[in-house]
Amino acid sequence: MRVTQGMLANNSLRQISSSYGRMGNLQDQLSTGKKINRPSDDPVVAMKGMQYRTNLTEVEQYKRNLSEAYQWMENSEGGIEHATQVMQRARELLLQAKNGTNSAEDAKAIGVEIEQLKKDLQGVANTQVAGRYIFNGTKTDSAPVDASGTFNPAAADYKISVSKGVELEVNVNALEAFGGKIGGAGNNLFQTLQGIVDDINTNGKMTKGDQLLSNLDEHFDKLNAERAKLGARYNRLELIDDRIGQQEVTANRILSDNEDADIERVITDLKMQESVHRAALSVSSRIIQPTLMDFLR
Amino acid sequence: MGSTFAGLEISKRGMSAQQSALYTTGQNISNANTPGYTRQRVTFKATEAYPYPGLEMPKIPGQMGTGVEGDTVERIRDKFLDTQYRGENTKTGFYEARSEALLKMEEILNEPSEAGLSKTMDRFWQSMQDLAANPTNSGARAVVQQRGIAVADTFQYLSTSLKSVQKDLKTQMDTTAMQVESIATQLNNINKQISEVEPHGYLPNDLYDERDRLIDTLSNLVPVKVSYPVKPGGNALKVAEGVVTVELVGKDGITGVGKLVDGANQTAASFSVGYDANGMVTSFKLDEVPDPPANTDMKTIAIGDVQNTGKIQGLVQSHGYADNGTSKGAYVEMIKDLDDLANAFVQEFNSIHKAGYNLNQFKTPPANGTGYDFFEFKSGKTGAEGIKVADIIMTSTDYIAAAQGPTPTAGDGSNALKLAEVKNGKLTALPNSATFQTFYEGMIGGMAVDSQEAERMLNNTNTLKDSVESRRQSISAVSLDEEMTNMIQFQHAYNASARMITMQDELLDTIINKMGL
Repeated sequence: MRVTQGMLANNSLRQISSSYGRMGNLQDQLSTGKKINRPSDDPVVAMKGMQYRTNLTEVEQYKRNLSEAYQWMENSEGGIEHATQVMQRARELLLQAKNGTNSAEDAKAIGVEIEQLKKDLQGVANTQVAGRYIFNGTKTDSAPVDASGTFNPAAADYKISVSKGVELEVNVNALEAFGGKIGGAGNNLFQTLQGIVDDINTNGKMTKGDQLLSNLDEHFDKLNAERAKLGARYNRLELIDDRIGQQEVTANRILSDNEDADIERVITDLKMQESVHRAALSVSSRIIQPTLMDFLR
Repeated sequence: MGSTFAGLEISKRGMSAQQSALYTTGQNISNANTPGYTRQRVTFKATEAYPYPGLEMPKIPGQMGTGVEGDTVERIRDKFLDTQYRGENTKTGFYEARSEALLKMEEILNEPSEAGLSKTMDRFWQSMQDLAANPTNSGARAVVQQRGIAVADTFQYLSTSLKSVQKDLKTQMDTTAMQVESIATQLNNINKQISEVEPHGYLPNDLYDERDRLIDTLSNLVPVKVSYPVKPGGNALKVAEGVVTVELVGKDGITGVGKLVDGANQTAASFSVGYDANGMVTSFKLDEVPDPPANTDMKTIAIGDVQNTGKIQGLVQSHGYADNGTSKGAYVEMIKDLDDLANAFVQEFNSIHKAGYNLNQFKTPPANGTGYDFFEFKSGKTGAEGIKVADIIMTSTDYIAAAQGPTPTAGDGSNALKLAEVKNGKLTALPNSATFQTFYEGMIGGMAVDSQEAERMLNNTNTLKDSVESRRQSISAVSLDEEMTNMIQFQHAYNASARMITMQDELLDTIINKMGL
């Protein structure tokens, strides 16, 4: 094949410019730390990248939801714990009041204390966390016990989504915890306590002590059952937390595996490309210079 | 017996022939870097021998040569390689235009990244989750509102950006059409000049070069078929090439479907792109210029009847064209997919939002499903370009319906959770019951594969074009070394002829001054 200067010049130019192109590509990879900069660089990596990013966002969001769930459950647990102590004190007082040896003054004093305990329990039922009534299901904007002492708990549970398709009840069911339908329709803990006070105040001593004691014990059982349920759910929450934590690590790793550039490799490639480029330049400078003209005089 | 002075004549012819070869060498060297220049060569031809065989001719033993003459100055060129080069060049033009258009599309959609639609949707989904966990929190509500605006804005931005590039592509198409027309006119002028020179027995090499260079340029823009319809008349040399006819190539890659330059009639066509009412390309329009009075109709060639190569087709395929009533092409399809996605998403999202209850409805809960839309469209618009967050949501975030019936409560976030699931759930308005995620990924994936394909084809055709160009150069390009060698060769031959004259002079001196004294 006949070769002319123009062909050599064009060839050199083409090789050098494609070498520059490859260096530019490596530079992109180094400065962004990513294997690809446009979907067309590798459509599969791009597709997976979108999917993995979404997964990661979801995992992060579920983690956020988890801390919300923890807040609810821990506060509920605290409330119930306190309620248990108060009820124990109320039971002691009730037993004391049942004794026939109490003077009218003693009985009255017991009545006054139980009245106070009832108010305290009402306070527990009306616990607010970050402006929300946590013992009122999804009716977080209104108190379960109103100013006149009427107990009106919401039925629906407060649920938080903790992973894809999994919603966890994070509240304590107030109706279950603070009574209702024990020893007669609509009887709740506050009514039972009020019953004790009323009995003492009207009669100066306990007359319906046995009935009230068994009611109070039933409330106590229910409260404990709610506490146990909450504990079980809390365990489940911890398990989910654990799993989400693992998922986050995995999601991050997969995302990185998929699209992060292997820096050592890129730098090695760059070094190689650099030497190829130098060679191309020096070859071009040698090839283009001399023609026959330089030797004809 | 020949003439006494025959030797002088032979040497003189030798000198003048070598001189013309030297001039041609000079021309080659001077034009070594002229684009489109083809090296030229003088063909030497021995002059007729003496005596010419005939009855009355003197009888001498054998014929004697009478010297040399420069016959023609020819271009050294291979027409087959020209055809090959143009074939590859027209493909390069196509993939150049296509890959550039798709590259811009990729830049606009900007996936995967922290700023694309996918990420914006993820953030919107996140805000819904936060709302579900905290339905009464006005902060969470405000975030949902703002992220909703971000989703609408991103849709709008993508749509308007794509449309503006599409508009640029149209401008490029029209400009390219004007370029085609201008080259056709220039070719027609060259045709006229050639047809004036050739009959006088000349070879207009420079005109041929210019013509071939113009056809090369033209082949990048449109697929061309070149033919030489008429033999040059008059005293034209055998090697004279004649005028050219340049035609657009049909979809079979062989047939010509419309003449851009008509060599036989010496006319060039006007060339423009035809659009339908939707702004989609339908045809190429050709009309003879100058228009003969008898022929007033414009030749319209459907876009699908022209071979799918050349820059202008690359632009057409990207911008969008009408194919049996449906709009096709990278940009129209992407814009349509985006619109479909936006419409399907808004429809699904609104229907769930409507069925939920907002904070203002708890006081007097209305019948189920009488709530408000979350997204709406700007008046007179639909699709990605028109989407915006509903005015009522903008007036107060209390109108975001996080709660579900039948007895909604403020702390109920179950509808917000359902709204969050719209991103991952099937969108009924989309084909193949795709979800937002899968449909959008499909759009990006399709674009990525197309773009990669275009780039790969561009590289391939470029390589082929370069190799053909290299072979063409191998034949036609000027080699300075070669010209130098030739120069020395011709110079020596010239000098030798001159020496012959000196020798003849001595010979004649002998005859005239020394003989018979």
